Amino acid sequence: MQRITRREFVKRTAVTSAAFTSLPAILAACGTSTGTGSNKPSKLVIAAVQGVEDGPLKKVAPNYKSQTGIDIQIVELPYPQLFEKLVTTFQANGSSYDLCMMDDPWMPKFGTMNALQPLDSNFGFTRDSDIPTVVYDVGTWPPPHGPVPPSEKNKSQHLYGITIVGNVEMFMYRKDKSDAPKTWDEVLTNAAKYNAPNFYGYVIRGLATNPVSSDSLPILWSFGGNIFDDNWKVQLDSTASIDAVTFLTRSLKKYAQPGPQSTDAADRSKLMATGKAYQSTVWPGEITGIVEDPTVSQVKGKVAYIPIPQGASGKGLGMMGNWLLGIPRGSKNGSAAADFIKWMLKPENMRNYVAQGGIPIRKSILNDSSLASANPYFQALAQSFDAVPNWRPRTDQWNAVETIYGTQMNATIAGQIAPAAAMQKAAADIRALMKGANYPS
Amino acid sequence: MSRLAAELPAPTGAKPARAGRRRRNRQERLAYTILLPALGTVFVIVTIPFVLAVWQSITADDGTLIGLRNYARALSNPLFYDALRATGIYAIIVLPAEIFLGLAFALLVHRTVKRPGLRATLYVLAVLPLVVPPVAVGVVARLIYAPGYGVLNYFLQSAGLAHSEVEWLGVPVLAMGSVASVDIWQWTPFVYLVLFAGLQTVPRESIEAAQVDGATWWTQFIYIELHYLRPLFLLILFFRVADVLRVFDHVFILTGGGPGTSTQLLSLYMYRIEFKFFDGGQAAALAVLVLVSISILYSLVTRDLPLERA
Repeated sequence: MQRITRREFVKRTAVTSAAFTSLPAILAACGTSTGTGSNKPSKLVIAAVQGVEDGPLKKVAPNYKSQTGIDIQIVELPYPQLFEKLVTTFQANGSSYDLCMMDDPWMPKFGTMNALQPLDSNFGFTRDSDIPTVVYDVGTWPPPHGPVPPSEKNKSQHLYGITIVGNVEMFMYRKDKSDAPKTWDEVLTNAAKYNAPNFYGYVIRGLATNPVSSDSLPILWSFGGNIFDDNWKVQLDSTASIDAVTFLTRSLKKYAQPGPQSTDAADRSKLMATGKAYQSTVWPGEITGIVEDPTVSQVKGKVAYIPIPQGASGKGLGMMGNWLLGIPRGSKNGSAAADFIKWMLKPENMRNYVAQGGIPIRKSILNDSSLASANPYFQALAQSFDAVPNWRPRTDQWNAVETIYGTQMNATIAGQIAPAAAMQKAAADIRALMKGANYPS
Repeated sequence: MSRLAAELPAPTGAKPARAGRRRRNRQERLAYTILLPALGTVFVIVTIPFVLAVWQSITADDGTLIGLRNYARALSNPLFYDALRATGIYAIIVLPAEIFLGLAFALLVHRTVKRPGLRATLYVLAVLPLVVPPVAVGVVARLIYAPGYGVLNYFLQSAGLAHSEVEWLGVPVLAMGSVASVDIWQWTPFVYLVLFAGLQTVPRESIEAAQVDGATWWTQFIYIELHYLRPLFLLILFFRVADVLRVFDHVFILTGGGPGTSTQLLSLYMYRIEFKFFDGGQAAALAVLVLVSISILYSLVTRDLPLERA
């Protein structure tokens, strides 16, 4: 065996180390097309949320490769990590992802950051009359209606995201026991009527921050309450808001499951699916994933889905929870990424997407009676879109607002603080936050 | 050169001293060269982020220097003290429990289990909780404590020990106990492994001599074994305090910091400041404060660590 000197050994070690250190970068460079936006890449990388939301996308992606030759690589991340990853990637103007899935409340943050490529001016997207207007509106920045953040008022509106998961928060109840409640008063009456040992009249999703915020906002809005008015004035300590919160955390809680303050969406779905609960709010993902899944549900066919019942305001307002596809500004394959979104929106591809468990946005599919039995919530979803659901306030401060509001809601459900005091505290904290962010206080 | 010659002290004189220094210099250069990749890696993944964090903590979003204003905001936020208190309570529950249980189990196995095969099996079983991802631990713990379908309530009610559902995650005291129990389950084996290894270093002659003199198991532990374990307790504290400050996953999954903010530990609080409030300056100030505090604590602890002997 040839002997080598110490100097030679050190030199070779250094060269080998450098080669190994560079290997990931070299491989990445080989695997990613670095051409201009108009070149056809070999693959597109999508940052997606892990769960029922991206399951159907994963199933239809191979079809795109067979039709176009472009491989779709889906990088899955859990909900909070996806948001963090996208924020840090956008801050660095990174090109790791050609497309990203975004929850609609993230749009203000990404819009304010100028993180996305406009789909209308760059790639020729136009509105399709078969897709609800609100779906385009939720992907538009600055928002076409409602208050606009002060820093965004001078920006021109563009479409930055297209919904691929048509989530709208709805209501579910056991249709084998009663008719549909039309108002929240009827919800309360039914909760009292059907509440029994080990069968809960209502399920509150009350886990701290995002879960309880999502669960309570449709009730807040339906009662005429709100977080902000059209001028960003905080409304949480208004009479209507406090009445709504009192209704949920005191009146309905009497008939709710034990520990509502630690209940999340999966817990709620399990309670419904195991026949232990009568009614609750619901997201479409919970329906396809658990409540109507015959392998886990004991109540398949016994649950009906309707838009959010009316509150004291005379309206029943659902909440948007759409998942959109957008193209990061750093993507070098913008044109190919836009083609993929257009492909997803084609009616025939969306039907295939629905067959794989996808939640559609086309009215023609939602109202297709041949799909109703396999998708019992489609009609309610179509009605919810028609009623124009609310979206969460379009501010880049939303995550902080939701954390403040959701923490106080959780505390009042736990009985740690009275509803009025909780909302006054939340309102004061949110006012201070918004003032610090240069919003009118 | 014979062995004797090699062990003789080097004769005095300029020439051999220079040769020795040259050799030493060459060896030092080689050592530094070999260490360079490791030091470079540490510089890239530790030093640079730390410097950036310090810079972020003294600047505004637009990059202008604002002195210690972020630190003042961090220290004036009442939620910071809530998080600090919650972290303190968490540490007071988990650290003594893990050390006591780990020690008890290590002593039990050391004294009663003599078969190598059984010891190896226990070793593997003890390693298992340490390699399970914290997220998975959190999800499983949720199946145990969850309201409505939690396994624990099912067993308690089946056994007649509870007549109604216990709100394990819904009452502040119980919620803190529940999240702490997950930590205790996952990290007691670490304490056991370290202390069990420490017990193997106790000289057999000392134990046998004490036994001949009539030492009980307790005096044997207090006067002999504890002496060998004391530095390891510091080592365990060293690692566990750092881990307690990093606890995130299972708390996030089990309670989300609730009810209210009763289980919002420091790491969860800092996460929210950074990724919910997007207040990078305040989050960086908090991170630097925690790092400085823990560095001071560790410099005190390491004075008593048996680094040379290790």
